[in-house]
Amino acid sequence: MNIGESVNLYRAYYCLDCGVCTGSCPVSRVLPTFSPRLVVEKAMLELGDELLGDRDLWSCLTCGRCYQRCPTNINFPEFMRNLREEAAKRGLSPTLTHHGMLQSVMEFQAAGVRQKKTDWAREAGKIADTGEVFYFVGCMPYFSVIFRDIGVDSLSIGRSVIKILNAAGITPVVSDEEACCGHDMLWNGNPETFKKLAAKNIELIRSSGAKKVVFSCPEGYYTFKHHYPLYFGELGFEAVHFYDYIEKMIGEGALKLSDGARAYTYHDPCRLGRMAKIYESPRAILHSLAGDRFREMERNRENSVCCGTTGWANCSSCSKQIQAERLREAKATGAKTLVTACPKCQIHLSCALSSMEDMDLEIKDLTTLISESMR
Amino acid sequence: MVWELMDLLGIDRRRLELQWVSSAEGARFAEIVTSFTGRIMELGKSSLGVAA
Repeated sequence: MNIGESVNLYRAYYCLDCGVCTGSCPVSRVLPTFSPRLVVEKAMLELGDELLGDRDLWSCLTCGRCYQRCPTNINFPEFMRNLREEAAKRGLSPTLTHHGMLQSVMEFQAAGVRQKKTDWAREAGKIADTGEVFYFVGCMPYFSVIFRDIGVDSLSIGRSVIKILNAAGITPVVSDEEACCGHDMLWNGNPETFKKLAAKNIELIRSSGAKKVVFSCPEGYYTFKHHYPLYFGELGFEAVHFYDYIEKMIGEGALKLSDGARAYTYHDPCRLGRMAKIYESPRAILHSLAGDRFREMERNRENSVCCGTTGWANCSSCSKQIQAERLREAKATGAKTLVTACPKCQIHLSCALSSMEDMDLEIKDLTTLISESMR
Repeated sequence: MVWELMDLLGIDRRRLELQWVSSAEGARFAEIVTSFTGRIMELGKSSLGVAA
């Protein structure tokens, strides 16, 4: 889709030039050359070459804060995604982080390797090959290896999900053949690899007989819920986020949580919050766990800020500034623990925290916290 | 780390070799490369179906 078509599809011509997008953008605050408003303006002035060749095209976090506030409802993240597809066709790409390791893993998966990545799940509890409930683990087995050096064990989330599901009498399907959901490829202008990964996952889940797919990763959940149907139509199974699933279990008394003594605050992931609109179930869980020791940060729910980088690309000093500011905001609530709900937020904020020596704060994933609080 | 990632991807870890050889050790370099290429020949095509 060329720039003109993107302008028409997302009705970017409704732009009022008000600048609320740029005023809301966490990147613009620390990188003044980047401005969503200017991107839209350039697109409409048909300055295509300048726009697509600009490094800042890849600086957008696609966090959706601008879209949330735009008075004419221009879906800037999706508009940006389309521009990136166009730029990628011209051979341009973002600066990949971690030496492009994660993109290599995704390309290998798309090419059809036979993975062996479920040993941890068998050790964590009971899993099955076929059944009603499929647990979509996502990329955590790989994160666990790559981010061990910053002290983040992403798989503790996966182990906790299995433990909690088992405790509720559910034996989930966990598969070696599961591939990355394709989120990062899609958002970085590579829809072809996204489609290959998505087709594999849909086929795999259908063949497992599962009617319900549970996600602990917000990106996986949102991609299945929103983008898979756009590209593939009716999926034949339901995507459910783990927090919605578990909140029901807590409500019905199937899962009991003990009340600890710590004070918590909560960081909304962009994909879970602004995109999937899941704000309340994690909060309900935290309330049942900590009562009034759960404290909101100043910027919460739809005003929450991104963890600073996305799609394993373009991590910069700007990302670090966004993260450091967020951590200070968490600390200012008086909470001892910042609760995250996305494996990437946990990784990114932990990375920033490790370089802030004076910051007395713990970062913990909500799922891990639930499993540790089970009675 | 790469070996661990290869395990998860189901790629034989013997397909990757990491060695330090000083510029003065020509014979050792030749030996390592010969034995590594020999091993790859033995393993044949990878599961990805790309050229061996």
